[in-house]
Amino acid sequence: MDFVPGGELSRRIREGDVSAESELIRQFEPGLRVLLRRRTGGDYGLLQDLVQETLLVVIQRLRGAGIDDPQKLAAFAAQTARNLAIASLRKAERQRTDVDSDATERNADPAQSVEGIAADVEAALAVRALLRELPQPRDRLMLKRFYLDDHEKEIICQEMDLTEAAFNQALSRARRRFRQILEERGFSKRDLLSLGT
Amino acid sequence: MKQELIEQYVAGRLGEAETQAFEEYCIANPEFARQVEYEQRLKAGIVQVARGSTAEFVRSNNPLPWRLAAAAAVLLAVISIVYAWNRLLPTHAPAIMAAVSADDHRNGESLRLALVRGTETTPALQPGVVRIEIVGLFDPGFHYTVALDRLERNKNVETMATLYSQHPTSPTTLEVMVDSNQLRPGAYSLRVRKQAYGEDSLDFGFVKF
Repeated sequence: MDFVPGGELSRRIREGDVSAESELIRQFEPGLRVLLRRRTGGDYGLLQDLVQETLLVVIQRLRGAGIDDPQKLAAFAAQTARNLAIASLRKAERQRTDVDSDATERNADPAQSVEGIAADVEAALAVRALLRELPQPRDRLMLKRFYLDDHEKEIICQEMDLTEAAFNQALSRARRRFRQILEERGFSKRDLLSLGT
Repeated sequence: MKQELIEQYVAGRLGEAETQAFEEYCIANPEFARQVEYEQRLKAGIVQVARGSTAEFVRSNNPLPWRLAAAAAVLLAVISIVYAWNRLLPTHAPAIMAAVSADDHRNGESLRLALVRGTETTPALQPGVVRIEIVGLFDPGFHYTVALDRLERNKNVETMATLYSQHPTSPTTLEVMVDSNQLRPGAYSLRVRKQAYGEDSLDFGFVKF
């Protein structure tokens, strides 16, 4: 996709160009999903809502008053998303009548949020398919230690007697295959049934 | 270098300023952001799978039973589908859901569905053929698949009808026609998904009384 600079998008949206709004959505949505995925603890409904809310806020702002520095449109969108995520978390915490330690932890350490309400069923099913396909037990163990145990690459290489190049190659192969599985298979809600088995 | 940065971001090892700069770069560079999202999803998927047991990560290779089981499952599924197709489906079933193809459709009953967080009421579908306006952010350059699911009490989901290759009417609206008379009373959901794009679907719930 051609990159459209923030300044030009801002100008076109202000002038009422609807196609510029579509371009903004197409361009910003993936990055907003990254930012908000980290801050919504695996809650997919909330993630979708916040992405949409952020895009609406940004578009409405550009249609109206605009932003001070149109070149910093990405930074504005990012800050809007962060503010909405914080507001949403505060609102959820206010609505609770008892102490929710999960929410407190999520707030304190966003990096650990994937261990919160993990609801990425499609990703879990793709991981299962990937694990079934990986030829070497060593590769499966390597994934576990890297992504689940959060061990440093160097330590894993040392303990599993691997060179860094071999480690990176195996990891990159696994990533490619994971992406392929997600793209090839149209997971549906029916797959939920097989997750519990 | 970029891959290392992605790993550090996903593992939560970047400082605050670095994280902010990284996120702004993602927003300005959608292809890069997709790469990061796959990494996030891989990690989330592994966490999810390991939640039950980590046995799958340490099992040894024994592919033959897997292949036999997969072949048997495929065969069984094909036989079941053929059987169900021949026995259960009426030959000329009227469509439950259809695309909005004529201006006349816009004059009748309509229902507006939007994702509103915190709302306590679920929209109710009127009787007859109803035009449903799904409100969200849609990309007019893409096709969307719309599936109508019936949500059972035991949490099973039955897909009643699916429309492929639907174009949004505008960047914020996608419309379909639903024949309410063919639906039993209960909870339903319209699941909207951008085709061939690997994204999650958006669910718009409603009830039929």
